[in-house]
Amino acid sequence: MARDTGKHPTPTRRTARLAAVLVVCCALSLAFISSAIARRDHSKPPAAQPAPPEASVAPAAGQTPAASAPAETSAAPAGGQTSAPTGTISPRRTHHRDNPGSTHGSAHTPSTGAAAQPASTGQPSSAGQEAGQEAAGTPVPANPQLEAGAQARRKKEGTKPKRPREPGRKGKGRSGKGGGTSGEGEGGSASGNEGEAAGTSTPTTPTIATPTAATPIASAPEPTASAATASPPATPTPSPASGTSTPAAGGRYARVPRRAVRARRHASAPPRTGVAAFAAAGAVPAAARSVPTAPASGPRRAPTSSHAAAPHGRPSPLVTTITKIVDVVPVAVRALIGALLALALALAARSRVSALRARRLDRQRVQLLEDVGLLQAALLPVPPARLGPVGTSAAYQPAAGPGAGGDFYDVFALQDGKLAVIVGDVSGHGRQALPHTALVRFTLRAYLEAGLSPRDAVQTAGAVLERQLGGVFATVVAATYQPRERVLVYACAGHPPPVVLGTAAGAATDAQAVAPVTVSASPPIGVGMRTGTRQTVVSVPGRSQICFYTDGLTEARVGSELFGTERLVDTLAELGAAATASAVLARVAERADARPDDMAACLLSVEGDDQAPAVLVEELELSRDEAAGDRTARFLLACGVERHGVAEVMRAARVAAGRAGTVVLEVRHTHGPPQVTFQREQVSYLHARRADVGVAL
Amino acid sequence: MLSRAHNTDSSPPTSVAFAIDRRQLDHRTSVISVEGDLDLASAPRLKWMLVDALDEGHDQLILDLSLATFMDSTALGVLVGVNRSLHDGGTLAIVCARANLLKIFELSGMDGAFAISPTLEHALARVNPPAAEAG
Repeated sequence: MARDTGKHPTPTRRTARLAAVLVVCCALSLAFISSAIARRDHSKPPAAQPAPPEASVAPAAGQTPAASAPAETSAAPAGGQTSAPTGTISPRRTHHRDNPGSTHGSAHTPSTGAAAQPASTGQPSSAGQEAGQEAAGTPVPANPQLEAGAQARRKKEGTKPKRPREPGRKGKGRSGKGGGTSGEGEGGSASGNEGEAAGTSTPTTPTIATPTAATPIASAPEPTASAATASPPATPTPSPASGTSTPAAGGRYARVPRRAVRARRHASAPPRTGVAAFAAAGAVPAAARSVPTAPASGPRRAPTSSHAAAPHGRPSPLVTTITKIVDVVPVAVRALIGALLALALALAARSRVSALRARRLDRQRVQLLEDVGLLQAALLPVPPARLGPVGTSAAYQPAAGPGAGGDFYDVFALQDGKLAVIVGDVSGHGRQALPHTALVRFTLRAYLEAGLSPRDAVQTAGAVLERQLGGVFATVVAATYQPRERVLVYACAGHPPPVVLGTAAGAATDAQAVAPVTVSASPPIGVGMRTGTRQTVVSVPGRSQICFYTDGLTEARVGSELFGTERLVDTLAELGAAATASAVLARVAERADARPDDMAACLLSVEGDDQAPAVLVEELELSRDEAAGDRTARFLLACGVERHGVAEVMRAARVAAGRAGTVVLEVRHTHGPPQVTFQREQVSYLHARRADVGVAL
Repeated sequence: MLSRAHNTDSSPPTSVAFAIDRRQLDHRTSVISVEGDLDLASAPRLKWMLVDALDEGHDQLILDLSLATFMDSTALGVLVGVNRSLHDGGTLAIVCARANLLKIFELSGMDGAFAISPTLEHALARVNPPAAEAG
């Protein structure tokens, strides 16, 4: 419960939380934006270092360095992949960085060029193919420009004779392209210088460049390409974006111009500067980060990073569009949108969480119901339709209200062909009653199975359970039926006796119920009193219904009256031979207006000859004090003992009980007046013995 | 004599209106009168009335069921519980003359546990002679 309340805070708390979330989100988005700006700013200085002139030229140039960093990375991987010399290469690269113009230029230029192509053309694939071809080693027809670029690269990377396999020409061609473009674009002179510098470098460089151009396919080039892609749009204008992408070295220039040119031609989107920077911000920094590692740790790692970078470059059209739009939007509106987004996210997360919780609870509920079903089946077994010659049935119907729970029953076969029935009701209701019902039921069953008579079983169970029930009490009726002799023996403890309804052949239509003696009944188990003092033996020779039930049946309401035993007998008679426990309960439920308590019933259907059932013996166990009590006198009277004989019997009983502690008074109904006998009771656990000490009257 | 049932409350339409009242005779004796049906709905009120009396040190309790119309196993459970929580010297006497209620006591076997009297005077005399004199 407590948890629940915690999970479902009050509305105010909820809104407060929401607000907090919103604020946090706004703060985060602001932080993100500022960091992005900061990155952009940061990226400038490195660029400035490598290529001071560029930086000075324009913000674009400033950004270029950032791009250059990735380019480097890419270059590094390329080298690594290409061949062993990588190691050598990387240091150089670092070096190149330091000397922005020369080093980076070579590596980047090609890549940028490649990237630029896709970006501008909008057909990255073609560019990739080209690049691929180049990478493959197929000498690409080199434009003068390309050649120039290549030269530049060589100069830069000349230091790295990385790829012996790839002909310098290709590289040249590529780089040349780049160089050319750059020249066209802007700062041609600068690029030229760099390009020359690169030119000095070994032919390997070009090779590298080529793969870069090749894009994703060639691992090394990719990163560069990505950087380039991002930048290209921006490049045309001396925007920061273009700068980012473009390598610091001459190579970058070459690229930049290229892209720029294309971009211009295709009139893509010059204003992107900011946007591009924004978009690039993510990719660039990553690339930049990778740069340092690449040189030292290894070209091998570098390729991965380059790969990662590549995708960033691809979505450029989309990104650019978005960035364009975002650029136009005022900051305040942006913040508002951010807040709304955050709110939406928060709400979505919330609903998601609650949906998950609901699903989990549903699952738990289903499982619980299954468990409850299993437990109920264990507590309320389904008896076989017949036990020997006796038809058996049992049913249970919980009350609709808070009174549900507490009733129990059991029907089972005993040795020597007998069968046993237990029906009971534990005080208290609901799930608290469950453990007690199980305890009482199985305890009684054990004693009955051990061969105790119902009375002894109840008495023993009463003594044992008194300590275990802890204030709860239970009313029970335990019975055995011997089909051979057609004798039913039952003992009640605070429980209504069964209805024994028999039909004699002579009066086939009029069912007769045996009237049990209820005077001096045993108290329930668990009330702190000795119980199991009464037992009744009934002869059931004819066709009969024996109905054990709980007081839920007789205490059901019909109008302002109780359903009562008489209506129950009527119901049984109406149902006749077809009666089953569930049919009886259904009929009661049908006739009753209210059922405040559970109803449980067990029905034994006995086929027999034409004699009506009759009580054979009523037994009452008495202590010495009880033998002199009013209850005993009433019991004897109820059993049909003549009034004048009662006093005599009581006196004899007192004497017998005085000797043995307790005495069992048996009133036998045979032909003529009832006979009273005394039996000394010696109950030892699990075994009952009797010795006749009685006096017959 | 004893005042009866001040507080009446609505009960289910199928049952008679239920009312319960407690009157203190002296520092140990209380008379609790019940009118109507003692069932699952009303038994808790009987329980708290009796428990309150016990908490106040009253251990001579007389439950007057002269006007009670019905009692179910829940109410019987309440009586059993109170009877068990009485210390030595404490008594729970019941005034009851209705056959159907007596039958319930008989069937449950609890008629031997309580001192059941047909009238309040009887009960007072049986339970607490001094109180009876005072009354």
